Amino acid sequence: MNPQLILLIAFGGAFLTYIFGKISSKLRDGAAVAISLALVAIFACLYGRRLQESFYWGFLGLNLSFRLDAVSWFFAIAIVSLGALSIIFSLRYMRDRERTDFYYSMMLMVNAAMLGIVLSSDLISFYIFWEMMSWCTFLLISYNQHRALDAGMKYIIMSIIGSVAMLAGILSLYVSFDTLLIPQIASSLATASPGYVLFVLVIFGIAFGIKNAIMPLHTWLPDSYAEAPSPFTAVLSGMLTRMGVYGFLLITYVVGGMIGGTGLGSNVLKFNYVLAWLGALTIVVPTFIAMLQNDAKQLLAWHGIGQGGYMVLGIGFGVATANSLALAGGIFHTLNYAICIVLLFMSVAAVQYRTGGVRDLNSLGGLVARMPVAFVGALLGISGLIGLPLTNGFVSKWMMYKALILEGHPFLAFAALIGTWGTILSVYKFLHNMYLGQLPEKYKHLEKSPFSMQLPIAVLSSAVVLFGILPGIPLRVINKICTWLGFSSLDVTIWGFTSETGTLNTMNLLAAIVVVSAVVWVLFHRAAKSVVVAQDDNYAAGAYVPKDKYHYTAGFYEPLFTMLRPYLRDVVDEFYTALAGSVRKSCGAVRRIYTGDVGSYVTYIILFLASLILVQLRWRPW
Amino acid sequence: MVGRILQFVLYPLVALAIGVFFLGLARKITARIQWRYGPPLVQPVIDMIRFFYQKSVSHGPVFAVGLIMSLAGSIVVVLFLPFGSICPLSGSGGLLVVLYVMLLAPMGIALSGGQGANPNISIGISRKLILALGYEVPFLLVLLTVMTHYNTISIVQVVEAQRDIGWSIASLPLFLSGVSYLLILPAMLGFRPFDVSTAPQEISSGPLVEYGGKYLLMATIEHALLLFIDIALFVNLFLGGAGNPITFFVKMLIVFVLVLFIHAAFPRLRIEQAIRYLWKWPTALALAGLIIVTIGRS
Amino acid sequence: MDRNQIAKWFKEPSKMANKYSLHAIYFCTGCGIIEVPPVITARWDAERFGVIPVATPRQANLFLITGYVSVKTLKAIIRTYEQMYEPKYAVAFGSCPINGGMYWDSYNTIKHLDKYIPIDGWIAGCMPRPEAIFVAVTHLWTLIDKGMANGYERYKKYYRAYRRNQELALGKLEWPPLYPIGEHTEGGECD
Repeated sequence: MNPQLILLIAFGGAFLTYIFGKISSKLRDGAAVAISLALVAIFACLYGRRLQESFYWGFLGLNLSFRLDAVSWFFAIAIVSLGALSIIFSLRYMRDRERTDFYYSMMLMVNAAMLGIVLSSDLISFYIFWEMMSWCTFLLISYNQHRALDAGMKYIIMSIIGSVAMLAGILSLYVSFDTLLIPQIASSLATASPGYVLFVLVIFGIAFGIKNAIMPLHTWLPDSYAEAPSPFTAVLSGMLTRMGVYGFLLITYVVGGMIGGTGLGSNVLKFNYVLAWLGALTIVVPTFIAMLQNDAKQLLAWHGIGQGGYMVLGIGFGVATANSLALAGGIFHTLNYAICIVLLFMSVAAVQYRTGGVRDLNSLGGLVARMPVAFVGALLGISGLIGLPLTNGFVSKWMMYKALILEGHPFLAFAALIGTWGTILSVYKFLHNMYLGQLPEKYKHLEKSPFSMQLPIAVLSSAVVLFGILPGIPLRVINKICTWLGFSSLDVTIWGFTSETGTLNTMNLLAAIVVVSAVVWVLFHRAAKSVVVAQDDNYAAGAYVPKDKYHYTAGFYEPLFTMLRPYLRDVVDEFYTALAGSVRKSCGAVRRIYTGDVGSYVTYIILFLASLILVQLRWRPW
Repeated sequence: MVGRILQFVLYPLVALAIGVFFLGLARKITARIQWRYGPPLVQPVIDMIRFFYQKSVSHGPVFAVGLIMSLAGSIVVVLFLPFGSICPLSGSGGLLVVLYVMLLAPMGIALSGGQGANPNISIGISRKLILALGYEVPFLLVLLTVMTHYNTISIVQVVEAQRDIGWSIASLPLFLSGVSYLLILPAMLGFRPFDVSTAPQEISSGPLVEYGGKYLLMATIEHALLLFIDIALFVNLFLGGAGNPITFFVKMLIVFVLVLFIHAAFPRLRIEQAIRYLWKWPTALALAGLIIVTIGRS
Repeated sequence: MDRNQIAKWFKEPSKMANKYSLHAIYFCTGCGIIEVPPVITARWDAERFGVIPVATPRQANLFLITGYVSVKTLKAIIRTYEQMYEPKYAVAFGSCPINGGMYWDSYNTIKHLDKYIPIDGWIAGCMPRPEAIFVAVTHLWTLIDKGMANGYERYKKYYRAYRRNQELALGKLEWPPLYPIGEHTEGGECD
């Protein structure tokens, strides 16, 4: 099975799905699921294989080539599995929408383009797939029309800026080294001047930073996440945005991979320190802004930015100090975050599906009684985001913290830790306002979510727990990525780490928590019985509170907001909006010159000639 | 092996006994400071027996599961803390794991209360989480200072290091951190002037308003263990731990009585006053300590 | 705590714990509430007997009704009493809840509180002194010991009658019955 064939299946599947959709919707659904599952099977079989393949097709006289190694396999398996789960989830969610053929083929196309990105081994095919992904994403974000069109426009403008930066970088590399094959560039860059290396880093850093939504470049993300159809938001947040992380790994490889992390120039180190600090900033500010949100998807979207900060922090810091623990933590967090956020968006989508698109946190509540599976998904999802012990997020965060503290950067560690508390506050609000609290009368008789929604949620929930208890499974692959990047290998066991300065043993933790919970449960069970009462039977100073009269959770963190609101403005977004406004105004002014009237154009020409004549008569330059 | 298992079983019980003793002591000493006679020291035990036998209401499965999770989390944290020479789970993750397992207790209470659908619970939890954010800022700075200073994430190693060079609180940069920890200790324990989240007069004791019977029993045990955990952490990190449990207990007692004096004498702050205080003096001290330690290291 | 009490503790821990841990929810219905602050503060210090005020009926097992009961308050009293969980004791303080007291001919005041919720003990007087509360508590201990403080059992047994009385005084109640009102339940006026 070579990479071209995989991509052929992926892209062909996308087109076939569209054609099948014209025949029958059942056939289309079946084809979409079958193709996405086939891709999962293919990549599962390719575990541990290395492939390198030159494409038979020259492009502008350049060799295009594909490869499959640890890093591409790691990202590819995540892409295809999350993609498949999203497609399964879409089956019911999108059933009664219009233009579903287009939706499914675009979903598959985005997945295929992402596969192309991680499989390509030269920058030209990388760029082509990158653009393909951006444009498909734009179409999908704008799928819902209305406000989604604005969000899509914002996305594509930012994305184009990134692509242009990348194109400039690629051209410059081609001019300098006369090759675009990534391994060759890596070996050529080892001898390049430090200034040029810094230029490459910054220009690609902008491109990948926009995609990964690092702090000053993040503004496209909240609106896009909120307005895209929810199953696609899952893909968008889970893997697509994290192509930026893949990009950062790639530049790390290009500038430092061949020289083993030891001979890195000071510019590379400085760049990565800056990156780590940007990551820290990206952790703190968005997680606190997330607390202000009342829209479930906006809230999660701001976490998308914040958690991206952890990855950048881990990777940037890992490269800057040649610390493979931080690097592995950053990569592992990419996977963990993808699982958790896809889970959370699916859980929101399940609620949206049953309540008719409601995602306002102030009007939901008490849904745990109606949709227990979605609740468990949301609970495990937020636990993973927070990093509660025995969930996957805990392990990756532990790795990063440990590296940051032991390398002597407590302030970066502080940013990461306090970001966790911001996360707790905002995700608790998310969980509480949606699933706990009062159940409004109008949702008393909601049905459970359908099986095709429960299945992906169940799969991802078990993945959260599995990777939290046995982190060694993904960490083995991540270890290979670290060695590929030229870092030292980690002491990974199946349940954690062993080292002198502090070990992690999730098995002991699991055993302790399980045993203690059992003991507590027995105590709980032995005590006098309790009676289950209706939710309105609770103490309100002896008064009977009429049903649905109040919603207790609106304005949940009001005291904190009044303190923090002046400081938590999205200054960057306001700046960009002002910039866009002034550009629009100046373009409007320019447009006034083009009146469309022949007479005025003639006047312009005459005026121009007159001024030329005047200049010639007065100064005689010619 | 038998000794180790015995440690696992007995240590949480000892911690619970100390915590419950502290609860009784808190009521007694507060009473004496307020010129009252006060209840017998075993009053919390009597209360807990009653809670065990009294019926209660439940608002659904999460109402119970959250509390069980919270209590289990607290007990597991206890297993990670060295108590004198006893530390059953020292080799499984260190201070960072403690920090994260400590999250289980407030999260569990918040989850469980969340299903109560009572306005007082919502207000109480919101206040609790905001207050937690308030004291976590200096608390994290303090822990980072200690970890950076000793260059380890293991509590056992911090204790061992102090055996050679004396108590942390007696050395200059960590003195600031230790004072900062003492200043936030009432907030961490939910004592006055920081008992906003369980204020009985304002919000009918907040998250506890729907708890009765066994639910209240578990919440009480959880609170008792919280007293043990936060004070034991302070003793371990700043007062040099101890070689044997008795010395350790005496150190804990002194710290606890210190906190009690504040508890008995102060009125309650509003939540934003509490945050403003916590983000001002304790944070400034902790930050100063961290900066000195970081500069000294590099 | 004398020695024969220790034997009792092992024999009937639930009863003993109930005796010595009376968490009171007191109702600021009328003038009687003015006697409660001295009782719980430095002058008389009820906490030495394990009596402390709590904020919610879920945690309480002693319901102290201090003073006259207007019709509007009655609603809150019933609601609160029903939200307490067994075993629970209700003590009425002052003469108004007993027979209306000085409000005996008021159009808006309940005269016999016992018709609406079961009362385990009365403290007569207008006003009773704070010491009377301690007398009441010691009496309640004796009653608990003898198993005579069984108001909650009466409430369950005659719930239909209580509910009817409540509805006579208050009109239609907004909340559903606490116990099922079946045909087999003993009917009739209860006092």
